[in-house]
Parts: sequence; structure tokens; C-alpha cells
Amino acid sequence: MIETVDEPEVGERRAWGWVAHLTDGGTTPWRDWSGLGASQGRYLPGAQQLELLRRLNLSGRPDPEVAAAVLASSPAGRGRPDLELVGAGPESEFGPAPVDPAALSAGELVRVAASVLADQLVDAGPLPVAEPPRPSWWRRGYRLVGDPELADGLREQLVARGRPPGGREPRILVVGTDLATMTAHAWGHRAFGEGVNAWGEWLRLLRERSELPYGADLLAAARVWERRVGKTRVAVVLDPAAVPRLAGDRRRLAAPTYLPGEAGELARKVGSVLALLVLPEEGERLLRLRLRPRVRRHAHRVHGALPLAVPAQHRDWLEGAAERMRRGIKRAGYAVHGNLDDLVPRWTSLEDSPEISQAPSPEATLDLAVRVLLDDEADDRSGR
Amino acid sequence: MTRRVLLHVGTPKTGTSYLQDVLFRNKRTLAENGILYAADRHDAHFLAALDLMRLPWGGLEREAVGAWDRLAEQVRGWHGETAVISHEILAAASRAQVGRALASLGHERQGGGVEVHLVLSVRDLVRQIPAEWQENIKHRSGMSYRRFLARITDPTRNSRIASWFWSVQEIPEILDRWGADLPPERVHVVTVPSPGGAPDLLWKRFSQVFGLEGMDLHLEEERVNPSLGVPETALIRRINRSANRVLPPADYRPLVRELLAHQTLSRRVLSPRLALPPEQVPWVQEREAAFVAAIERRGYDVVGDLHDLRGNAGLHPFVDPDKPRERDVAGAAVDAIKALLLETARMRAEEERLRAELDETRDALSRSYLRPSYRLREKAVKGLTRGRVGRGLLSVYRLARGRSSRSA
Repeated sequence: MIETVDEPEVGERRAWGWVAHLTDGGTTPWRDWSGLGASQGRYLPGAQQLELLRRLNLSGRPDPEVAAAVLASSPAGRGRPDLELVGAGPESEFGPAPVDPAALSAGELVRVAASVLADQLVDAGPLPVAEPPRPSWWRRGYRLVGDPELADGLREQLVARGRPPGGREPRILVVGTDLATMTAHAWGHRAFGEGVNAWGEWLRLLRERSELPYGADLLAAARVWERRVGKTRVAVVLDPAAVPRLAGDRRRLAAPTYLPGEAGELARKVGSVLALLVLPEEGERLLRLRLRPRVRRHAHRVHGALPLAVPAQHRDWLEGAAERMRRGIKRAGYAVHGNLDDLVPRWTSLEDSPEISQAPSPEATLDLAVRVLLDDEADDRSGR
Repeated sequence: MTRRVLLHVGTPKTGTSYLQDVLFRNKRTLAENGILYAADRHDAHFLAALDLMRLPWGGLEREAVGAWDRLAEQVRGWHGETAVISHEILAAASRAQVGRALASLGHERQGGGVEVHLVLSVRDLVRQIPAEWQENIKHRSGMSYRRFLARITDPTRNSRIASWFWSVQEIPEILDRWGADLPPERVHVVTVPSPGGAPDLLWKRFSQVFGLEGMDLHLEEERVNPSLGVPETALIRRINRSANRVLPPADYRPLVRELLAHQTLSRRVLSPRLALPPEQVPWVQEREAAFVAAIERRGYDVVGDLHDLRGNAGLHPFVDPDKPRERDVAGAAVDAIKALLLETARMRAEEERLRAELDETRDALSRSYLRPSYRLREKAVKGLTRGRVGRGLLSVYRLARGRSSRSA
């Protein structure tokens, strides 16, 4: 039975009442809440944790274990500490000012979500080590390198058809598309792997060092493989439709679906927590094999989750790099399938339109994090 | 099982590095006296703190995986009377992290578990504020002093700088988070003596609270974070702004922080010291008074004198580090260039030595290649790899060689 009062001195009991309300799946914002409750622990959870639980309740019915994990967590990394609810107790002259949790930024809530997700990934136990399928010895082999997202998307389909990479004298297919897209793919791929800076900062550093990201530099990839297997077995493929034929499979492959920038942003945040929980190699496997499938199930339902675009200040640099890559590939004389001119990004008005994101949206990242936390199909929640 | 844990959680810039160094170097003596300082490296408790607080730290956190649980296990399993844990960044732990830390050490809220004593060493804000800015500069920051002050005085504390600064410097709030479950007599506030006090006074206070009095400890080498003057700090800030983007953290640490800041520029002791701008003094004094009143009100065990927390704002005249005398900065820059030249010369000599060693190794390798038996084998391998049958034979040979070497 909830008693309704409005005296300021019962603020803490009001806060405990709100905790109970949220734990039961309630969605009432703190400022509209007036019921009282009994203390359930040694301290009140922070405003960030409580508001994240409210957002989870607004979007679905979180597993009780997930709700408990959210309330027991702390925001990951540097930033504001656990904040108190405004009106939940007497104003202290010390500590950060209490807040209305509804006014917290999406980024603050993502810090909590990242911490809980990292715990879930680890608590589900070590990943089984799968034996890679062996290619048939009688077939001409292939390897897909280059743009990591494109290569992974195509390879996955070939493996599903019983055509794993490797094999007899494999043909090296350096796959790619325009350099701006490949750069965004390389960022997302690293976010689900070894970790990466924020998109804008990463681009800035690449530019200052005049470096292209690993995987997006098709000329460098082709040279590496040329040294290993000889030029005749290396082909640059800018037309993905040519891949099945070159890989010795006649059937068409579907165009790979790419994750929006917000997926990479969430993985980046989760990865920074994982770095403190498991060794780097295990962390990368957890991100790729455990988090990525969960994110993939929800990323395209998130309103405002968009492909990443290169901000205007970096476009001239990428154009120049793409032009040099185009000339280098042509001069080196590699077999090319597709049009080398496609390497050079063509900036259209679309790049600056609301359909393309020049940085991951914090709100969409939070929405994605909430959906992933609510994921019913996840088989890796703690305790399951 | 340990009966008592002394948990030293901060604050930064209060002699913590020196204390931790003494504890680390005297582990054996301490253990003989029933005190555990469980550390296999000098930064072991720092790594444990990073792990507990899930705090990234320039990649160092990768070495911290599981470090807190390992430390807590060692503490719980200690057969002696007391265990000591010490790191200043623990001051920033959240309530949830504090709860986890205390529980992992065997503390029970209702009593009956391990007796946890909280130790917080504290220093006046008049010294702490410029020291924190300087520490930021030595960690690659390019932020001006004015901007730093504006951030920490912003009541919203929304910035990372402000939230970190106050989480490790707002003494009553740190004690709220860490000491909420402890009786006040088990909360020990150690004050750093005011400038001009006896040099060993702080150590005596630490000795008293950690029960180290009368022990024969090696104290001779101080591992302190030496402070920089105004032009030296301004120089490092300019270096950060220019080189940060191109100098990786792994190179910044030994070259800028250690070689330039700690080993070279800190020796320029005649430079003007960092101080508070006069307009900031009143609110700082008001904060210090509020800290003192809260500590007195709560009845903690104070080791030292609470008067130490009221800083002397007039000790050093204010010299603006955002507008330093260019002549002074140039002087500091010449010293820095000289240090870098000497370091480069040392590395060139080392490179020369390694090059000579490499040449010798290459010569020895070439001589072995010239032996007729090697050339014959090389020719055979080249011939075999040309054809499919040859390659197959080579594979069988390599397989057999592998087997025989395994069995051998």
C-alpha cells in the first residue's frame, strides 16, 4: 500500500518508494512520484541507474536480474559520479548537486548500460573455441581481405554455403568500395574488436599521421599479399557481384548489411569496460561473437541510428588518399574487377542531410543499448 | 584471517607516493611485524583500484584485470594482525564500489567481520588546486589555469575535470562515501603539515596511524612527484599543445613526464611557484572552513592538526602561468632542449652499440650460409619447390622431421 505525502523530510522514503516502483516495472518519472517505501539497501542507487531502469521499463519488461544489475552498477569510466535525486534528502553542502533524472543526458545513461552489458558478456562464461571449417582440397581456394565489414559479410555467406576461405592456391580478393565508406567500416570493425577512439577524434588522428585505417588501404593489402603469393593471385574487387565467381561459387551473394554508427559507439563503450574485466583477446571475442549478434538484431530498429559520414573538414584528405590509392593500384597492375574510380568518395548533398550521421547520436546509442539489454533472445545474460 | 585492514583511500598530492614506496620497499619488515602490504610491483594497489573502479588509464587498465579480487583475497588470507591497502584514486570510488570493496575485504555492516579502518590524508585547497592543475598538465593536458579554475568552480560540475577534482578533493564527501558504514573512531584523517613544518612530521603522522612506529624501515630514497614552477609548467603545457597529437602516450611518459618534468624542470627551484589568483582566495577559504567544520562535527580521529587544512594563500605571490615571463619560459626550454640532446646522444650511442652487435651477428650468420652443406640443402629445397611432386616430398620430409624432433 503506497501512502502519498509531500513533506520534504520524507524525501529518502519517497526515493525508496520510487526504487520499488521501478523494480516492479513502473515508468513514472521521479518528479511525478510521491509514494513512499522502505529502505532496501545501504545506499540509494544513483539517479543514472534509476533513470536507465525507467527507460528499460518504458521499452519493455526487463528481466529481474537485469534490473538488479542496473541498480547495483556504477557508470563506467571517467565522468560524473553517482548522482543523487533532487528532493530525496536534505541538501548537502558537499558533493555534486542532486539532479532530476529525466534531465540526465543520454551519454550518462549509456555509461551505466555499457557497464551492465560488459558484465553480462563476461558472466556468461568463456566462449567455446570453434574449429574453423576446412576448405575442400580439390577446389581453387580464395581469401577475402580489404574492407573488413564487406569482406566479413561476403565471407560469412560463402562459409554458410560450405565454401570456407583458404584452400588450394587461394586467389586473394581485396574487396572494397569508396574510401569514405571503408573508413567508417574500419572504425565500426575496430569498435567491435581491439577498441577505437571516438569517430571524430579517430579521423583527426589518422589525418595528422597521414595514415589510412587497416583494411581500408586496399593498395597496402594488395602489396602485402603480393609479397606472399605473387601478383597473379591478387585481385582488387570493387564490384561485390564479382566475388562469388572469383571465389568459385556461381550463386549470387546478398549485399552485406552494415551496422549504423551507433552500434560501433555502443561497442566502443562496452569494450572500454571489458578491458578491465578480461584480457584483450577474450574481450575482442566477446565483442565480436557475443555482443555483435545482439546489436545486429536491434540496430536497424533504432530511430535515428544512421550510417556514419565523414565530416566536411576531413573530406579533402580522404579524397586525396583515395586518388593516390586509385593511381597506385593502376600503376601496380593488379587485376581489377569493377571501376577503380569508385574508390574516390563522391560527396553528395546526402552527406550533409539528416539521413547520414557525422557522429553517432547519443540518444540513438541509448535506445540501442536499452533494446540490447531487453533482448529476449540473448543467451548470455548472467545466470542463464 | 586478517583482524584489521587499514584502507588508505587518498587524497592525491598528500605524500601518498612516498608512503606507498616505503611500504613496498619494506614489505618483509612489515610482514615480520604482522603487517601485510600485498604488492608484487610498486603500482599493485593502483592497478587494484583501477579494477575496482573500472577506470581506464591510458591502456594500463589492461594489466589490472582481476587485480582487486586478488588483492582482497591476499588480505583475507593473511595470517597476521593487519593489512594495509593504499591508493589515492580510491577516493573517487562510488558508493556501490565502496560497498563491493568493503565486502570483499571481509567487512560486515552489522559488525563481527574484519575491522576496517579508513585513512584519508588531506591537504589544504590552497595547495591542492594548483597541484591538481599541474598534475593535469603532466598528464598531457593543454588546459589553461584560468579555464581549469573556471571548470572546478562551476557549480554544476558537469565537466570531467570538475567531477574528478571534487571526487578526490572534497574531503567530507569522500568520507561520506567511504565511511558511511564505519564508526567515526575508525575513520582517521591525517593532515599534511602546513609549509614550514618539520620535514618528517607527515611521516610521523603516517607512522602513527599505520602502526609503523618503532620499526626499522628504510626511508632513505624518496619517490615523490616533484613540483614545477610557473614557467616550467607553462612550458610543458605548450609542449602538450604542440606534440600531444603526434606523441603516443607510451613515449610521452618517459620523455615528457619523467625526463623533462620530473628529472629536469623540477630542479629549477628558484622559479616562481604556482599559487591561487587573489580573486579565488575567498571561496577557497570558505570551502576549507566548511571542510574543517564537517570533520570536527563528525568526530573522526584526526591525526595532526585540522588547522593545517586552512591554507596560507599569501605564501607565494600569484604569478599567472597563462601569461608567464617569456624569458623564464625560454630558460626552462633551454634546459629541456639540453636534457633532450643528452638523452638523444645516449640513445645514439646505444643504437651504435646495438648496430655493431647486429653486424657481428649478421657476419656470423653469413659465414654459416657459406658452408657447402648449407648451399647444397638450399639448392635441393629450391629444386623441390618448383614441382608438385617435389613439394609433396618436402611436406613429407618436414612432417617426418617434426615427428622425430618431437620424439627426441
